[in-house]
Order: sequence, then C-alpha cells, then structure tokens
Amino acid sequence: TEWNVSVWGKRRAFTEHVEKLAELVSEKTNGEFTFNISYGGLSNNRENLDGISIGAFEMAQFCAGYHRDKNPSITVLELPFLGVETLEDERRISQAIYEHPAVIEDLARWNAVLLMPSPLPQYNFVGVGEAPETLAEFEGLSVRATGGIGAAMETVGAVPTSMSATEVRQALDSGVVKAVSFAPHAHMSFGTVESGTWWTTNLNPGTVNCPVVVNSDALDALSDEHREALMGSIDEALDHYIDYYENNTMKAWGPLLEEKEIQQVTFSDAEIAAFREAAAAPAAQAWIEENNARGLPGQELFDLVTSLVAEE
Amino acid sequence: MDATDIGLIVSGGMLVMVILGMRVGFAAAMAGVVGLIWIFWARFGYDPSRFDQAIVVAVKTAGQVPHSKVSSQALSLIPTFILIGYLAYYAGLTKALFEAAKRWVAWVPGGLAVSTVFATAGFAAVSGASVATSAVFARIAIPEMLKIGYDKRFAAGVVAAGGTLASLIPPSAILVIYSIIVEQDVGKLLLAGFIPGVFSAIVYAILIVGLALALPNFGPPVKGFTWGQRFSSLLPAFPIFFVVVIILFFVYNPIPQTITLFGAEIDTIIGGDAWGTPTEGGALGAFVVFIMAVWRGMRWPELKSALLETAKLTVMIFTIIWGVLIYVRFLGFADLPNAFSDWITSLEYSPMLILIMILLAYAVLGMFMDAIGMLLLTLPVVYPAVMALNGGEFVSAADSTFGMSGPMCAIWFGILVVKMAEFCLITPPIGLNCFVVAGVRDDLSVQDVFKGVTPFFIADGITIALLVSFPMIVLWLPSQV
Amino acid sequence: MAGKTSVLEDGTLVSRVDRALYKLETFLALICGLAVFGLMILAVISVGGRNFFSSPLPGYVDWIEQLMPLIAFIGIAYVQRDGGHIRMDIVVSYLKGRALWLAEIVSVLMMLILMILLVWGTWSHFERSFDFAAPLWSTDSSIDIYLPIWPAKLLAPIAFSVLCLRLVVQLWGYTRAFVLGLDQPAAVPMVEDAATQAAKEADSLLSRAKD
Ligand code: NA
Ligand code: NA
Repeated sequence: TEWNVSVWGKRRAFTEHVEKLAELVSEKTNGEFTFNISYGGLSNNRENLDGISIGAFEMAQFCAGYHRDKNPSITVLELPFLGVETLEDERRISQAIYEHPAVIEDLARWNAVLLMPSPLPQYNFVGVGEAPETLAEFEGLSVRATGGIGAAMETVGAVPTSMSATEVRQALDSGVVKAVSFAPHAHMSFGTVESGTWWTTNLNPGTVNCPVVVNSDALDALSDEHREALMGSIDEALDHYIDYYENNTMKAWGPLLEEKEIQQVTFSDAEIAAFREAAAAPAAQAWIEENNARGLPGQELFDLVTSLVAEE
Repeated sequence: MDATDIGLIVSGGMLVMVILGMRVGFAAAMAGVVGLIWIFWARFGYDPSRFDQAIVVAVKTAGQVPHSKVSSQALSLIPTFILIGYLAYYAGLTKALFEAAKRWVAWVPGGLAVSTVFATAGFAAVSGASVATSAVFARIAIPEMLKIGYDKRFAAGVVAAGGTLASLIPPSAILVIYSIIVEQDVGKLLLAGFIPGVFSAIVYAILIVGLALALPNFGPPVKGFTWGQRFSSLLPAFPIFFVVVIILFFVYNPIPQTITLFGAEIDTIIGGDAWGTPTEGGALGAFVVFIMAVWRGMRWPELKSALLETAKLTVMIFTIIWGVLIYVRFLGFADLPNAFSDWITSLEYSPMLILIMILLAYAVLGMFMDAIGMLLLTLPVVYPAVMALNGGEFVSAADSTFGMSGPMCAIWFGILVVKMAEFCLITPPIGLNCFVVAGVRDDLSVQDVFKGVTPFFIADGITIALLVSFPMIVLWLPSQV
Repeated sequence: MAGKTSVLEDGTLVSRVDRALYKLETFLALICGLAVFGLMILAVISVGGRNFFSSPLPGYVDWIEQLMPLIAFIGIAYVQRDGGHIRMDIVVSYLKGRALWLAEIVSVLMMLILMILLVWGTWSHFERSFDFAAPLWSTDSSIDIYLPIWPAKLLAPIAFSVLCLRLVVQLWGYTRAFVLGLDQPAAVPMVEDAATQAAKEADSLLSRAKD
C-alpha cells in the first residue's frame, strides 16, 4: 500500500511528525506500507480537506483557521488566551477534543478522520517599520492573524489581513501587512525574519490548530496489521515532533533574533492583562453563540477545553 | 508502468494535440484530466470495476483547480496590467511619447529610429503586451521615418523590435505569469525586468547609430528643436512618468526613511517601506491613466470597448493558466518534475552548457509557439530542473553552481526566458510582432519586415549573451530590496 | 491571438442562435470588464485607506479572491465565439474545405467533452462549499472576514455551461459546413493565416486609438 500525503511549504518542524510517521510505518511493515509525502504538488493548502473528501489522497494536514466554515468545531482550539502553555498541553488538549463526538461528526462531512495534532507554541508577531511600544500602537495596522488571533487583534484596532502561509513573505515585503503572527518555526521557514525588524516576545494571543487527517475509506481499507502500524506510531511521531520543536526550533530562535538584529518588544504585564480581559471573554462568547446556531454543542466544547486547560 | 511513464506519455499526447491545433489551454486541461484518470486507475490496479471511480476522483480533483488557482491576489495583477494598456490609447499617450522622444534624441545619427526605440520603451512602462505596442507605433512612427528617407523595411523592423520591450519593462503580464508558476516574489521579478529592458533598448539604439554611421543614405538626424520645445513635449507624456514612479514605489521604495544632512538625521516623508503591493501600484497606475483618458474625452462607448478588450485578453490568458494548472496538478501526482530534474542534474555536461541548451530549445520552440503558452507549458517541468542545476530552491549563493542564491536564480532565469520569448516575437516563421507591423502597413509584406528586423537579431543575441554572462545586470536592482 | 471577429452572419437558424447566444456572452464579458474596473477601484480605496487614513480595508484580500473568478471565467464563451483562445494553427492553416471542417469538428468535440467533465468537476467543488442547512449556506469561508466562498465557486460551472452551449453551436456550424461542403459557413470563426489575423488585431487596436 502506498498513501499519498498532501502537505505544503517545505520540510520543517511543522511536518516532522508526518515525516517520522512515514518512517515508522514503513519500518514496522518492512516497506509494505509507505507514504509519498508531497509538499504542495497534490493540492492547495486551503483545499486539502476537499482532496481528502474526494479521495484524491489519503492523508493531509491543514489549519482550521484557513476556512472556519469547513471545520467549525475545532476552531474552539484557536480561541484567544485559552491559557495553554506547553506543546505537551497543546497536544493533550487537542487529542481530547478530537475525540469528542461532535468534532468527529464535523470532520466526517469531509470523509476525514482526525489522526493527530501539530502542536504549536503561542503565536507572536514579526513586523516591519517602527516597533509598537504599546498595544495601542497596533491601531490601524494591517496584520496577518487568522482565526481567534485575528479576533483578538481587532480588539486593539488592528486589521486582520490574511493569506496562506506561502504568500505571507510577499505580503510583508510589499506592505499588504505590517506584521505577521506565526509560531517561531514558521517565521523561520516562511522568511518573515528576513525582512522583519521587530518581534513581540510576550503577546501570546493564542495559536492555530493544524490537524493531520486521513481519508476514512482508506483507513477502513487498511489491513489490521497496517492499521496497527499506523495508529501505533502516532505517539512516537508526536514525541519526536515535540522534541524536535523544543530542541531544534526553539533553541535556534533566540540566537536567530540576535543575529538578524531584530528588536524584541516586551509589553508590560498590566497591558497584557488588559488585552486578555478585552479579547478573551467576548471572543469565547461570540464563538459559543455562533456554533450553537450551527447546531454544534458550543458551550460544551468550550467548557471541555477550559477544563482540560485547568487540569495540569 | 510507473507514474513517471504515464507523465511522459500524457505530456507527449498534449504536445500532439497542441500541434494539431487544439486550443492550448484546453489541450493542457484535457491532458491533465486524462492523466489524472490514468494515475488513479493505475492506483486501483487497473480494476475494470473501479474505472468509473477513477473518473470521479480525477474529475473532482481537476474541478478544484480553476476556482482554487485563479482566486489569487497575485494573479489580480494581470487584468490590471492589461486594462492600463488599453486605457493608455485613449489617454493619447502614444503620440505624446513619440513626439517627446523625437525632440530629445532625434539629433543623433539614425535619430528617428532611435527615437522610436525610446518611445516604445516609454510606452512599455504602461503596456503589458508586446504586440499592442508594435501595432500602435507602426501607425505613428513608420510614416515619419519614411518621410525623411528611411528604408521602409528597416523602419518596420525598428517598430517590430521596439514592441518586444513591453514585456521586460514593467508592467508585464508575462513576468507576472512566470512568478505565479514558479511561486517567486512578483515584485522583485518586475523590478528585475527594468534594467534588462532599458539595456535592450540601449543596445538597439547603439546598433542603429552604428548602422547609420556605416551605411550611406540612412535616415538623416532631425535637428533644430529648442529646449523650450523639448520641455513642453514632456507635459503630455507626463502620466507615463507618473505611472513609472507609482509602480516603482509600490514595488520597492528607493528613498531611505532617514537621511543624514549636515550631521542631522532627517525623516523623509515618502521614504521607507514600499507603499503597497505591485497589484495596488498597477491599479493606481491604471486609475491615473483612466482619469487622463476621461480628461482627453473618453466616454462610456470607448470605456466599454476598452473593458471588453480587457476582458477578452484577460480571459484568454486565464484560460491557459487554469488549463495548464490542471495539467500541473496531474504532474504533481505523476511526480514528473522531480524525475526530469533528477535527469538534468545527472547529465555529464557543464551546468552552464545545459542552461544554454535550454535557452536554445526555447528559441526553437518560440519560432512556432505563442510566448505565454510556451512558458506555461514548459516551466512546470523546466524550472525545477534549472533550480536543481543551481543547487536547489533554497541554496545559498556560496554553495550554488551559478553563484547566486535560489531565489536570485529564479529571477535571473525568469528574465532570460522572457527575453527569449520576446526574441521569438520577431523571428520567422511565426513572429507575431512582424505580422502585426506588416498588417498595419499595406506597402509592407511579412517578408519585408522579417528582413528589416534581422539586424535586431544580432542586438538581441548580444543582449542575451550579456545577461547570461553578467547576471548582475538582472540581479543588481532586485538585490537592493 | 484575439483577432477581430470573423464570424459570418446570415439568416440561417444556426446563425440566429449564434447571435442570440452572442448577446448573452457579450453581456457576461462586459461584467468581466467591469469587475476588472472594480478591482482597480478596490485597490485605490485600499491604498488610500491604508496610507492616508491609517485604516486598511478589512478583508481586502478576501474581496480580491472573490472577484477573481468573475474576471477569469465569465467571459470564456465570448472569447471562444470569436475564435480568440490561443492555438497553434500552422497545421490547421494548411487544411481546406471538408478536411478543415472535420479537423474543427474533432477539436470542438474534444473541448465539449472536456468542458462537460469540468462542469461536473467544478460543480462538485461548489457543492462541497454549499449547504442549505448552514448559516449563509456556507461550508467554506474566506480567511479574514469569513465571506462564504460558494458564490465564487459557482461561477465556474455557470461560465463553463455557457461555453458548452457555445461549443454545441460551433459543432452544429462546422457539421453543417462539412455536410453541405460550404466554403464560408456562418456561426463559426473562420481560420485565417496568422498574418491576416494579426492585421485584424492591429486594426482593431488602431480603430479604438484616438490618434
Ligand atoms: Na511593460
Ligand atoms: Na518566432
């Protein structure tokens, strides 16, 4: 069996769990079950769910914030200021949410089964031009911020102007956006650090949720042995991913900022607290109402997330 | 049969369809759909009972491409660049440019021909399409040259060659298409076209001056314009400068944010970051020309016909784009580009020789094909191979074969292939610019124009050789950003 | 190249159908042109807002992405009507009479089959983004201001269906020419050698230029 896997960009920390999974599965099945990982050749990143639904490829990665209406249930994990601190927490909480029946049903509309998350640290901004000294200086700034981060930034007057990750560098260079929110690995791999002049160290408005999914028919069609090889490798792949992220990406990040002489902007605790105050509760409330209207158990999903965050 | 074989067979089939006269975009889309069906059916082990399933998956996969690929902010440059060119006619910019060029440079040997070259270069700054530029100047410049005794074939050749400048000097639809296919920064590519475009114009001008000095009875210089006449000729052509400045500032702001004057740091008002995207620059340029055209008397009937012409050219280009991208999606499943670049990098010739062979192949292909169709059909396979030759898409200048980083190599190769494609517009047997010039003038046959344009082959040959040998001509400006 | 129209018109039924369809196609092409104009205005507003009022246009990229399909697809049949889609005609231009009409029939028939498949494919792309039960009927939305994407996706099958109608008319025209052995059939774009076509192109540009 060979599975086609659709991801995008180039190989980076964000795709290490998929690469590792491919390695493990092939090893365990003596090369009988392999992945053919394609970086952008099989689909646009915003159409990866469509490709899964059609059956054009068997596995794919996507980000919930690219298309809220395709996957409303998991956008709960993108709400601002949820208080998730570590990659391990992000992984644990995502995996628990992925098992909720309403979430499973939401993704089943696309023939998709959630396999594993791609845990990301809190996003922060790399920007060009004058560095903001206070949050008020975000007023009128066009920023690349999807999902809940965008909603949060709106509360301080920023204007979310987003595009797929692959188009971000161009947008920053040409002035469409003045600042870009990403996790560190993406700032490195999509080149924002090449042109950015400042970085916010502690805004931490939230993160995005980018699961890896498989086509349900393809999963059903696997032999027991192959399925066991796949499902049994997820934990190890995620361990590898988190280890890689923490020990390669995060360790490289600080020195890189120094090397590129990027000004590090740190906001006062009081300011961050006020920001959280203004952004968190209204965004959560709006999310719950919207998703209740869709027929999803909005309150229940939100409460599940907050209770998972609380149990450390 | 593995996926690569399917890729090769289907690609061959597509070329046959194109040669037999099927419209290029549709031939590519057809190849893509058939190829996808084949690939999926092969994945199902050619099980006859699953053939219909292969069709369903292939058609739905292909069906994503048109919407998904054209909904792109970067591609929105193309219609704007086309609109700006059509509006320029109504703004009276062509005649104004020729008049200004005449008053400023016609005093040199071969002056009127040199003026024509610079006027076409100026018009290139508002026109994204070569053929249109030649068509307009055939009517304006050829009669003036004939009046003072130029050989009619040479006069026609000047106009045909001058038209090709439009695709290098920004705005350029073809450079935008290149940047989309290869996923590189469109702003830097547009910027990169500027110097090679001006450079080509200067090489043309030097060639003309040389011919005028060497040959008896060449057109005489035109003298006697006062400085007052010269400066007053600039005013009607002013929107061109305005558009050039706008597009430049939206792609790259040449003015630093602060300047040091007498030891004091002063903030410049317009310096610093680029003002916006190339898309916005193009749109703003179009808006300026639109206001100018309205001022010059354009009303709804003229605007309507400009919009319809814009629609026609835009749709024509987009049809090829999505058609080819369906084929490219199939190539992704067949993994052909990787296979081809593995093959190219395994060849035991020097990389520079391989690059020159690729450029020569474009020269041959361009004899028979339309420039946009040619680039769209070949780049998905050729571009990754060239990048691999240089050491990969993310290679640093130090580790690379051609001494430039991956992104810089992408820009350099882009300018080279676009210059090749433009060269093909004046070479027989299918040289569209020459056809257009012959079509405008009843007294000229296509053969006449091809004869008259021959000296410019030498000029273009020299230009291309210099761009290959001295990449800095291309890369200096974009590397300033 | 997009030459000026060389479609003959007469009193035959196929020609009348051709002209009726052409009216619809011209209308759609004009919408496309107006959308390009709208794109220009949108950019002017966006630049003005960002640079002079420090208030970028929310969802600027989202709106462009919504406009692009209108620009790219909706005029596709209009261009086909006049034979404007790019092709290489060095082989076709050697053909005459029935051989030529047969070649055109084959070529148009292949296009028709392709476009029927693509109407299906693009419709299914639309269908995945559309659900009567969902808010705004949307199951796929844009990235910043959550515009439903289904209207933009729907444009592709609509435009392609009009093209299918156009291809049927051309198939009819060419078949008629083939059966009756016509020299100058109505309702289909005539093949011209590249030089004639380019001359017409030039004329059409110049007739619109003021000077
Ligand atoms: Na140009
Ligand atoms: Na040629």
